[in-house]
Amino acid sequence: MSAVRWLVKCGAGAAILLIACGFATVRFGSGLQMPATTTRDGTLITLSRYLREPVPDVVLVGSSITFRLKEEYFATAGLRNLALAGGSPVTGLEIVANQSQLPKFILVEANVLTRPTDAALVERYSRGDTEPLFFRPVRAAVAAYEQRLHASVTHEQVVLNLRKLTEQPPSDFDNRVYADRALQQFNAEDPADAARINAKRIEELIRMVEHRGARVLLFELPYSEPIEGSRYAATTREIVHAAFPDTKRWLPVEVNRSELRWADGVHLDERSAVIVTQAMERTLALVRTVK
Amino acid sequence: MTFTSWQFGAFVAIIFAAYYLPALRTFQVHLLVFASLFFYGHGQPELLALLAVAVFGTYLFLVLALRNRQVWLPVGIAFNLVLLAFFKYKLLFIDPASPSLVDFAPLDFLLKLPLPIGISFFVFHNISLLVDLTRQKTAPPTLTGVFLYIIFFPQLVSGPITRAEMFMPQIKPKYLADVPLVEAAKWILTGFFFKLYVANNLNEMTSYMSFPLYETLQTQDRWLLVFLYSYQIYADFFGYSAIAIGLGLLFGYRLPINFNLPYIATSFSEFWTRWHISLSTWLRTYLYVPLGGNRHGIWRTYLNLMIVMGLGGLWHGAGLSYLMWGLMHGLLLVLERPLLGRLASIDFAVLRAARMTVVFVCVTMLWIFFKLPNFDHAVGYLTGMFTPSTNPNPTKLFYSLALLYSLPVMIQHLGFRPLFEGRLRWAEPYLYGSMAALMYLEAGPETSFIYFQF
Repeated sequence: MSAVRWLVKCGAGAAILLIACGFATVRFGSGLQMPATTTRDGTLITLSRYLREPVPDVVLVGSSITFRLKEEYFATAGLRNLALAGGSPVTGLEIVANQSQLPKFILVEANVLTRPTDAALVERYSRGDTEPLFFRPVRAAVAAYEQRLHASVTHEQVVLNLRKLTEQPPSDFDNRVYADRALQQFNAEDPADAARINAKRIEELIRMVEHRGARVLLFELPYSEPIEGSRYAATTREIVHAAFPDTKRWLPVEVNRSELRWADGVHLDERSAVIVTQAMERTLALVRTVK
Repeated sequence: MTFTSWQFGAFVAIIFAAYYLPALRTFQVHLLVFASLFFYGHGQPELLALLAVAVFGTYLFLVLALRNRQVWLPVGIAFNLVLLAFFKYKLLFIDPASPSLVDFAPLDFLLKLPLPIGISFFVFHNISLLVDLTRQKTAPPTLTGVFLYIIFFPQLVSGPITRAEMFMPQIKPKYLADVPLVEAAKWILTGFFFKLYVANNLNEMTSYMSFPLYETLQTQDRWLLVFLYSYQIYADFFGYSAIAIGLGLLFGYRLPINFNLPYIATSFSEFWTRWHISLSTWLRTYLYVPLGGNRHGIWRTYLNLMIVMGLGGLWHGAGLSYLMWGLMHGLLLVLERPLLGRLASIDFAVLRAARMTVVFVCVTMLWIFFKLPNFDHAVGYLTGMFTPSTNPNPTKLFYSLALLYSLPVMIQHLGFRPLFEGRLRWAEPYLYGSMAALMYLEAGPETSFIYFQF
């Protein structure tokens, strides 16, 4: 076989596969949720879904701390958690603010305010054209398989399990190694400058979205005692409360702290995340009735 | 400029187009030297001077050693080893973050220079040049020829380490009609496919092997990731070598094969004739044999094996993990040596499969020291493989994705190649075409080649 014929056939092979994937994309769209192998992948899935589906009533934006509050833990219908593991609450808030329609309530986590806004992510999800040109055939196949095995669950489907979980005693997992490391990091970092900049940006964004009819509430998730006293947590708290002194701006999270456990002093374990979710829902329901 | 960037594609296309113009035929070597300097300087222009020092210095010692080998050959080798040692091991003694390391400004500047990309590879080329050409006692080659041998861009950064006696005779005018286009295309497509589809996708998962992320893994996932890393490092380095060989062919140079299905080796000595072949050949020719090889009794042979493998480990980096990796391989070679004769006499499929498994598992476990150059982290990871995990929120890995991204390495090692060279020959171009499409559709996030750091 001549070299030219070989190369033409090779090109044809590539073209056939590309065309097939192009047709598959047109036929199925990107409705199939690709499996996330990294937190970044997970972020893209969550944001793509937010843009694709009807605008919910309540949206949470935050960092990995809020990421632990899974949507199925909430009984509130029409709630989306857009928290970005490894990201900033400001990124989520910017993306929500850039959409043509806004949710009624936007809940903004105020624990982590040192990370910069992910400009690339904001730009990508503010354009709205997130449909890829081609399917990723391997990931699509795995996604279909995973969806068959573990279809996404609703609150109604897991409510019994959640009740059982909260009825259990708190976990006795020994997190000392991770908690010590987290405390060291939380004491090493000075968040003041970055937190001030982000608090200011949140203020601007609140003004913008509330002008368009949405309501924004800030919330703080509890840390373990030693982390609460760390330089990072204390400084951030001081700055954000100085920037937003009005108590009506805050969604209180009232829980019995002795019931809570953390994987590393910072991130809540599953049972604690459910307890915190329920506490947030109680106060959110009050706010929604008062208006 | 990495092999996987569009800039590199444009760069190769321009050089290839100019290279075979009849008007430029007499300048082909110069053009490749210029292209290689541009390629190297594109990322680290400040290190071009170092490259020049290495090449000019080696050329000078080559000319001198051709007159008096006994005196100037050791000096030339020492010159190159000092260069390598200075840049590779200086960080053992200094902290590059300090504002001023020494009072003498030029030395301070040198100490703060980053590790020059590919230094381990071009220093080995230099030594091969000095040893091979002075042994043959030929007339000194041209300076441009020496430059091309040392800095030829497909092999400059991560090899394959080409021996001077193999490369230098290939320096002659090249014609487009002689280019084995299909063979070059197969190498290049295979290389990119293994890098983009296999290695980059597996890297997403194996990134959880880093400290402290590995502490979030379940015990069985630690095991899984070690095997995935084994596939990843193979796909990454085999991919790079395949692209280099394909590019070499485009410009009329045949570079040595660097991998030959290493994970089907039935002994550790066989593994080293299949993995990074150009490095093991180099170490055998220029280190093991001069040390006496196996010519001075059994204990001296064992000592030589340990020295060669220990130094081979340190060549990868100045760290206890790399040394341990090399020494452990040396120990495995020593331990299997008395058994090899007896095992070879038993030709039994089950035993062969068992030997293959043992070699693969041992080699794979030792990659932990490669992935985690911090020795404490490597030991921590290993310990966690044998203790149950207690983390309530372990990282979730998709086993189906892991399998699908590892599959090309497994299929390649199962030996389907003869099928495509025989009955299914007609399907071969379509297979390569599908690989090209798949590496575009399913490419994992961009990561540099693992061997760039060496």
